[in-house]
Amino acid sequence: MNLKIKFIPYEKMKMDSFSDILRDVKENTIILIDAKLKPEEESEIIEKTMESVSEKFSGIELSSIDFAGEEEMNNFERFKNIIIERIIGKKRGMTIIGPAKIIHKIKKNPKELLLYM
Amino acid sequence: MVLKHIRNLKNRFSSIVSRIFRKKRDIRIGLYGPVNSGKTTLANRICMDWLGEEMGSASVVPHETREIQTKEKVQIKSNGKSLTFNLVDTPGIATKIDFEDFLKFGLKKTEAKSRAKEATRGVIEAIKWLDRMDMVLVVLDSTKDPINQVNITILGNLDARNIPLLIVSNKADVRKSSTTKIRNAFPGYDVIGISAKTGQNMKDLYGSLLKKL
Repeated sequence: MNLKIKFIPYEKMKMDSFSDILRDVKENTIILIDAKLKPEEESEIIEKTMESVSEKFSGIELSSIDFAGEEEMNNFERFKNIIIERIIGKKRGMTIIGPAKIIHKIKKNPKELLLYM
Repeated sequence: MVLKHIRNLKNRFSSIVSRIFRKKRDIRIGLYGPVNSGKTTLANRICMDWLGEEMGSASVVPHETREIQTKEKVQIKSNGKSLTFNLVDTPGIATKIDFEDFLKFGLKKTEAKSRAKEATRGVIEAIKWLDRMDMVLVVLDSTKDPINQVNITILGNLDARNIPLLIVSNKADVRKSSTTKIRNAFPGYDVIGISAKTGQNMKDLYGSLLKKL
């Protein structure tokens, strides 16, 4: 089985549709996005995935990591981070989306993601 | 991209409109969570405690609840206060549904395929219903690692919609249950450890529910 890893900038992801991402995922591609997805985007991709589930495609494994470390920030750092993210237009972090048939589990620690394949 | 923005604006507008009109109708409390976390068992426990009848069937086979189920006019009482609401049990949220997983539970291939199809529709329906909730009990299995994307997505979506929530750390009757793990994973949220199966700590849950609303 040919496994591919594809990097998609967040800006491109916003221009394309999640259906494009799912099309790649169905072809055994692991997608890396250079941002943490917003909750609405995560639920939208889950909805689209459910619409695509078939005998051949059982779904996705998805996980996001936050580079900014919001949980450990004080109020000033949090405010600064909000401003930075407003300027760059995305939440600093990374998202991995891959086919569930290949990625069996993604274990998430606050600062790292571990893929079980 | 433009279409996506229009859709987002439309969703926000309909959410605001539904919230304005929601004030005039009954309160809806939803049970959300990953698959097999005990949402229906909790719904049954609440309904048995206050209505004397169960709400739906619970099973060890994943995706037993594949449609939204509502029980109307549930009235709970605690410390002299009372609250009447419509209880909404939702299908478990998942990012993958493999019909072959159901075969391990003895289902025939055709049954498994049909269950998988219904389950996918259930997940979509559950997500769509989020906007209709006045409050959500996020039911998590306290015997499992709480840091997974489904839990994070549910909590994130509720926060983004400003829907009050309470995390229910279920299955406290099981030896490897850990409510502390859930508290540590999601600091800043109210977490209450219960067993929907045995009824352990349900009084505290009712008390917390009344405080939240």
